Amino acid sequence: MKRDSHRWKWILVSPALLVLILAASGPLLIVAVYSFLSPGNMGGVAWDFSTDAWFRVFFKRDIFEPENVTLNADHLAVFQRTIWLSLQTTVICAALGFPTAWFIATRPANRRMIWLFLITVPFWTNLLIRTFAIQEMIRNTGTLNTALLWLGVIGEPIEMMYTDFAVLLGMSYVFLPLMVLPLYAAMDKLDFRLVEAGYDLYASRFQVLRHVILPLVKPGFIAGSILVFIPSIGAYVTPRVLGGGRSMMMGNLIGLQFGQGRNWPLGSALAMVLLVIVVVALVFYLRITTRETGGRDGQS
Amino acid sequence: MPDGDGQSGNEIEIEAVGKVFGQGDTAFHALSGIDLTIRTGEFFTLLGPSGCGKTTLLRVIAGFEHPTSGRLRIKGQDVVGQAPNQRLVNTVFQNYALFPHMTVAQNIGFGLKMLGRPRAEIAATTDEMMHLVKMEAMAARKPSELSGGQQQRVALARALAPRPRVLLLDEPLSALDLKLRKEMQTELKRLQVETGITFVFVTHDQEEALTMSDRLAVMNQGRILQLGSPHEIYHAPTERFVADFIGETNFLTLNVIAVQGRGADLALPGGRTIAARVAEGLTPAVGTTVSAVIRPEQARIVPQGTGELSATVEGAVFFGTDTHIHLRLSDGQPFTVRRQNNDDLADPAKGETVGLSLTPGALQVLRG
Amino acid sequence: MASREFNVRALPGFGAVAIFTLVMLYLPIIILVIFSFNESQSQSAWGGFSLKWYVAAFNNSQVIDVSVRSLWLALVAAGIATVLATLAALATTRVGRFPGQTMIYALINQPLMVPEIVTGIALLIFVAFLKVQTGYAGMGYMVAAHTAFCIPFAYLPIRARLETMDLTLERAAADLYATPVQAFTYVTLPLLVPGIVAGFMLGFVVSLDTVVITEFVKSAGQDTLPTYMLGQLRRSVTPEMNAIATLFLALSLVVVSLFFLITRKRG
Repeated sequence: MKRDSHRWKWILVSPALLVLILAASGPLLIVAVYSFLSPGNMGGVAWDFSTDAWFRVFFKRDIFEPENVTLNADHLAVFQRTIWLSLQTTVICAALGFPTAWFIATRPANRRMIWLFLITVPFWTNLLIRTFAIQEMIRNTGTLNTALLWLGVIGEPIEMMYTDFAVLLGMSYVFLPLMVLPLYAAMDKLDFRLVEAGYDLYASRFQVLRHVILPLVKPGFIAGSILVFIPSIGAYVTPRVLGGGRSMMMGNLIGLQFGQGRNWPLGSALAMVLLVIVVVALVFYLRITTRETGGRDGQS
Repeated sequence: MPDGDGQSGNEIEIEAVGKVFGQGDTAFHALSGIDLTIRTGEFFTLLGPSGCGKTTLLRVIAGFEHPTSGRLRIKGQDVVGQAPNQRLVNTVFQNYALFPHMTVAQNIGFGLKMLGRPRAEIAATTDEMMHLVKMEAMAARKPSELSGGQQQRVALARALAPRPRVLLLDEPLSALDLKLRKEMQTELKRLQVETGITFVFVTHDQEEALTMSDRLAVMNQGRILQLGSPHEIYHAPTERFVADFIGETNFLTLNVIAVQGRGADLALPGGRTIAARVAEGLTPAVGTTVSAVIRPEQARIVPQGTGELSATVEGAVFFGTDTHIHLRLSDGQPFTVRRQNNDDLADPAKGETVGLSLTPGALQVLRG
Repeated sequence: MASREFNVRALPGFGAVAIFTLVMLYLPIIILVIFSFNESQSQSAWGGFSLKWYVAAFNNSQVIDVSVRSLWLALVAAGIATVLATLAALATTRVGRFPGQTMIYALINQPLMVPEIVTGIALLIFVAFLKVQTGYAGMGYMVAAHTAFCIPFAYLPIRARLETMDLTLERAAADLYATPVQAFTYVTLPLLVPGIVAGFMLGFVVSLDTVVITEFVKSAGQDTLPTYMLGQLRRSVTPEMNAIATLFLALSLVVVSLFFLITRKRG
């Protein structure tokens, strides 16, 4: 009987697993393999084992003096920008998302759904279109510059496109709902009698926020941060449209290796690096969350 | 208590307080015309069914609700408009509202910490409070690791630690099982006597209210119906609702034959006359019909032909310590007698006709 | 009573920040929509109301071509993904731990965690290999890639629905002499329908939204609306793009609203 039900489970789940293995997980293994091959002449790979791609992720050889090895400053600059912009995006989303989620969670129950809907709609509308909307705002002849020129605040348009600022603005804009939704979920479960108890025991508004509300919605904060940080680290569309070649992130560097640059093994190795960063972030997240929940009954 | 001056007087004065939720057609009058004075150091109970306004009144005193009208003074000082974190009043919340992310000790010390007291004082008071509620061994535990009764003690200690003038208790025992509830009732009374703090206790459990309170107010539909000692409320209810809500009662509809001072003579079915007490502020007219109550333990079954009343036995329900005997009077009104099972008496047979003897002075005429 | 009631839910400044955030969330989109109706080519100066960019978009055979492909692909991929996700959800919910469970969850959720660019180039490599080996270069690759990407999104609401479903209903059906198949057909499946519809809608929206994977998997002439737009954004942008984006937004809005209504009413 038990055996039988297990077999049924596997039969039901296998079509989905087959598609996922063929079109999602399996190809990742090929990427790992390709990162240890040599680049082909016209894209693709030559089936020769080589660690050159991994070497080139971090280092550079002088063309004329091959024994002269230096750190690959271009790549390192992209790594650094990627991590830095992703952290900044997370902080901005948290700073704006917390009050927004709180605002929604404290509306009367019958109107809360409408506010939540307003947050959810941008989340489900096309990311490219939202990035395009930001581009139209901040172009030299865009809405923002035109408005500022008309008001006389500035004399000539501010160059905002193709800067780190543009990428940061765009990513904060497109990923904000990912912070608000888990924070809202945590606040929705918040027992407001605890907030009342805080005030009853002489806490000020700030003290209630710090000692009661923040510790209680911390899981939502952590989930929101990871939900914003991971897509930021792997962002491709937003930095491509708003950052261009000047403010490139890891996703774009990887993409380039399969376009004009045509070094598939290097692209594969870079993709593995990106994957490792994401896995580290996820493991970090899991460790925090298990420690949080584990601490509740384990600490005595 | 160090903070209190120990003198007797009025702790809380509530004058004509009203509270309306919503507006227009959907407006709900949670409280109307509440006049109430709570004395320093007393154990005062607000008793009523759910939705009667007792919790709203408690929240008004705590500062979480703003009265729509009226005045509220604590120790002579008008506190309307004062935030809850400025009032020297603490609440034991219905489901305790213990901070799940803090230990027992951190919970108890929270109020003092928020008041900015020195660390040594917080530690000393926390220890003292844990000792008071016998929770010393649990200092490092989180609320989720405590039983219901233990959580209850922590909630009490937390509210007592800042030494408030008044402790508000919002149905604090309702989540406990019967045995624990009895224990905590004794415990609460002990703490109130030991600390001398004024307790305002909200409950819908009439037995709890009767056993613990110095005085109580029975509320319904946002109004106080009767205010008095447990004894007065039980034995001299002035309104039908109060008589019905507290304990079991026999209601009799009877004719007034004569009125004299605070008493009246009523005609019983079968022709006898009986003297009854009359609720304060009520003067029944001779010849009219009034509602009167008498508790089931204030009547005795006597042999047929004796006693003031004659009744037919309809059935008996055994309750262990006592037996309820359901009867029908000669004019058809139902009547219940509670008989202590002191001896192994046989229940009267169904259909048997018996006499009833009423305790003199026990019958009370109600308002309305 | 001049003073205001003490509101335990209020925190100073939070309302202002929230309103600011919500306004900023919609302002760029609203401006985008407004300028799609602009008579002049400018993205910043209003030249009067006009539908000419919509007319231009509808007369642009390339736009029609990629739009039809996007919708077709989204319907097929979301449809297959919903069927597969329903089967998977039936197998993995309301059961105790069983061997391989963690692996199944990891596989199903993998597209949610791995950056799209990594999946994109992985598929590029794999598809390039398959093309050489099989000679097939049709839409099959795109359908497979989109289906895999839609499965976790379709799985979530179906699983949620199954988990909140009252088990006693099926037991009641069994008690009333229903065979397991009958119990499934007459009790489980009808109750599961809202979850399945919601799952399909999420999959549909996600497929329409997907640009990175498509960009790397597509062969020549397999552009979808998002990859077409991405290509156009590099050139000078005309309000025609605004018109296309507005139509696209309207479609998403309709699907999301339906999704909201379905999950809310029965939830």
